[in-house]
Parts: sequence; structure tokens; C-alpha cells
Amino acid sequence: MTDNISHNRPKVFTLLELTQSIQRAFQQWYSGAYWIRAEMNKLNHYKYSGHCYPDLLERQDGKVVAQIRATLWETDYRRINASFLQILKEPLKDGINILFLAKVAFSPLHGLSLSIIDIDPAYTLGDLEREKIETINRLKAEGIFDQNKSLELAPLPQRIAVISVETSKGLADFRKILDGNPDKFRFFMMLFPALLQGDKSPDSIMMQLARIRRVTGYFDAVAIVRGGGGEVGLASYNNYQLARTIATFPLPVFTGIGHSTNETVVEMVAHTNAITPTELADFLLGKFRNFAEPVNEARQKLSRLSFQLIGYERQQLLEEIRYFKSVSLNHINHNKIVLSGLIQQFRHHSQNYLRESDVNIKQMIYVLKTLPVVKISQQKAELSQFISLAKKSAGNLLKEKNNELSNLEKQMQLLHPQNVLKRGYSITFYKGKSVISTENLKTSEEIETILFSGKITSKISKIVKTGNHE
Amino acid sequence: MNKQPNYIEAFEELQQIVSDIEKGEISVDELSVKVKRASELIRICRNKLITTESDVGKILEELEKSALDPGEV
Repeated sequence: MTDNISHNRPKVFTLLELTQSIQRAFQQWYSGAYWIRAEMNKLNHYKYSGHCYPDLLERQDGKVVAQIRATLWETDYRRINASFLQILKEPLKDGINILFLAKVAFSPLHGLSLSIIDIDPAYTLGDLEREKIETINRLKAEGIFDQNKSLELAPLPQRIAVISVETSKGLADFRKILDGNPDKFRFFMMLFPALLQGDKSPDSIMMQLARIRRVTGYFDAVAIVRGGGGEVGLASYNNYQLARTIATFPLPVFTGIGHSTNETVVEMVAHTNAITPTELADFLLGKFRNFAEPVNEARQKLSRLSFQLIGYERQQLLEEIRYFKSVSLNHINHNKIVLSGLIQQFRHHSQNYLRESDVNIKQMIYVLKTLPVVKISQQKAELSQFISLAKKSAGNLLKEKNNELSNLEKQMQLLHPQNVLKRGYSITFYKGKSVISTENLKTSEEIETILFSGKITSKISKIVKTGNHE
Repeated sequence: MNKQPNYIEAFEELQQIVSDIEKGEISVDELSVKVKRASELIRICRNKLITTESDVGKILEELEKSALDPGEV
């Protein structure tokens, strides 16, 4: 069957025959080495063998228009990578544009590829530089280049969100300086771990920035701290997205990523770039000192001014006291003089007065002494006069009264009924009572008549009534 | 959460007191009160320098919370 079919057919080659023929054609037509511009999309470095199998491509308006595999042998890779590190401060890596010298190689087994002999670091450097400039221009065109710089930093940036690697020497330095500061200023630092170099660093840093964005209220600033990583792998800090994220971040972003070559775009847009973590820590401490210093100054001023004010007032008071003392001493002295004059006067007056009083008292004593004697003798004289007068009066009075009494006796004797009867008069009694009128007398009644000597009883024969007889 | 105005205000008040004393606008009667106030303000400022109030636990909690919340970026 195969014979039938193969009968009128053209010559058949084996695959090897064909591919060997292609190989010969390439060797004939592309025998030399060519300088080619391409984007190294992937480096594809195999660590075990040390060889690289880069994917090279060319884009026009974002579309891939050419693509080819390449090989870069271990010894060439090491040489080229070293020169990149020296000149670009970047290793050979994915996503860079390169100008390379290569031979076109076709192998029956592996097909078409470019065998890279050399890569020009200057071209890539210029390309990266151009990219960096593009990033800068874009940020400026968007008006956000200075946005983070224009954020107002807290006077005391105390709470720092740190983007770094736990094991970074730069982070250790940063912490050591802030935590061990001699003024005992306290900082709060919280680590947001991220890759800090290489192609993956922009995404890693941006992811942590996104986390910090959720808790901005807890922080005063963000610090991207890197150290000990050398100068290599910093091209990622020119990344547009990363630079944009930092420029528009709501908190001030500090950078201390430790290198001495050209400033990266991230550092340019950062609020503050301190070059090294140590410098960044010093910058923060400086802020604290700037705040602490006026406080200390205020404290010193306050105490100095207070002492001054009190001293001045004390001086014033002392002067017042001195003045008051002298015025009052004067016043006292004056009054002393007046008083001693008054005392003198008083003494003088009282002595005079005493003297006068003494004389008066003596006089009075004399009077008091003599007056009773005089009075007594006067009274004595009066009394004796009175006595003699009384004696005389009493004698006369007795004689007089005696005479009167003897007269009265005489009269009494004259008036005695016996004497009257003697003279012829008689007393008539009726019924025991003396009769002086005819009234009540009745004829024939018995009456008794008393005489000087004896008595008569008679009967009434007739009664003659007369008028009131005297 | 943000205590910053406190110490800035404290600092400004402190400066005001010092300048008042400097200008001789404070009598010896007020001096003791003012100096007492100033000492308090200095204490607030000093305290701000040497203490922090942040709580890592709280921040982590907040991070967790917002990570679960798809509405927030």
C-alpha cells in the first residue's frame, strides 16, 4: 500500500534532513552576529544550570508584533549581569529593554532561537532613565508630583507605619536610634512587611500601603525603610504605579532606602527623603527636639521671668517697708517729743495742784480740828446759860403756881356747901334729888331741907310757879 | 483618637503665658496661677514626647475588620 502511494510522490525527507537543511540555510544567510533591540519579557534564569532562556519580544502600540526565544549561557550571563549591576545598579531582569549582540541559531532539536553573546548595559540604563523621566513627567502632568510633600506633617510625627523587612538591617538601625534616643522620646512603630527590592517590590509595597490606608487615623506618617541591600534593585522605586500611590497617599511618606546614586521617583515624591534609615530616624528625632526645645525654653523663661518679677516686687516691698519704717519712726519720735513735753507739763501742773491741795487739806484739817472744839464750847456755854435760865424760870413758875393754888384753895373753901350753908343757904331734896325748880313738885308731897346744922322735913302746901328764874 | 490638638493647644497656651509674662502683662497676684498652669502645660507637652497611646491590637483588629468588608478599599 505504501509502495502504491509513494509511487508518484515527490522526494520525502526525514525531519532531521529538513531541519539540518534549514540549519545550513541559517548558517549561510545569518552567519554573523547582529545588534538587536528588543524587550526582554522574561529572563528565565535557571539557577541550577545557570543558563538563561529569555523570552524576547517587540511591541507596537501595546501589541506583540515579534517574539523569539533566546539563550544566554551561564558564563555570558554572569559577565553581563555583573556589568549591569555595576552600571545600572540593577541585575538583568524581566521587563527591560535591551540592546544585545546575538547570533541566529537554528538547531534541529530546539528550533529557532537567538544566542545572546552580549548585552549593552548603557542602552538599558538610558531606557530606564527615560522610563523614570516619563514617570516623573506623567506625575507632574497629573498634578500629583508634590501632593505628598504638601501634606502637613504632625509637629510630633510619633506614630509611624513602617514598611520594611523584619530582618532588614536598615529597620534595625531605624528602631535602635528611635527607641534608644537619649531624650527618652517615645515613638510608636508598627511594621508592615514588604519586599523592598526587585520586580515584586512595587506590588508588595503598594499592598501594605493599601492596608495602612485603612488605619490612617492611627498613624502620623509612613516610613519606607531599607538598608543593607546595597545599590541594586532600586529601579522598582521608579515604578509609575508605586510613585503614584505614594504621591497621593493621605499620610506623609518618608523614605530611607539607603543608597547613594540618583534619587528614585519614589524618593522624589515622598514627603521627606532621608536617604538612609539612620538619617530618617535623626530627622524624626529632630522634629521632637524642635518641639521639646521651645518647651524647655518656655520652662526656663518662665522660671527666670517669675524670679525676676518676684524679685522686683520684693524690692518694691522692701522699699515700701523702709519708707514706712522711716516715716513711722519720724512720727513716733515727733510724738515722743510732744508726749514728753506733755508729761513735763502734766508733772508741773500736778505738782502745783498737789501743793495747792496740800495747803487746802492742811487748812481743812486745821478747821476740822478746831471747829468741833469751838462748837462744843459754844454749845456748853449755851447749855449752861439755858440751864441757869431754866433754873430761874422754874423757881418763878413754882412760886406763881403756888400762889394760884392757894388762891384756888381759898376759893374752893368759899364755895364748899358747908360754907354756903353756914351763910344761911339750904338745899331742898325731893325724892333724893336736889330741887331747883317747881317743876315736878306736887302739893302735899314731902320734901327734905338740909341746913348747916340739921335737917327739916316738910309738906308742900302751895306751889308758886315763876318764869325762868335766875 | 487623635490627641494632637491637645498638645499643640497646650504648647500655644504655654507660649502665650510666657509672652504675657515677658511683656509684663501678668501681675504678681496672677503669677502663681499662671506658673501652675504653665507647669501643667509643660507636663502635657513633655508627656506627649515621652508616651504613645497606640494599641497594636486595636489597629490589627481594625485591619481585619476592613479586610472583611468588601465595600472598603
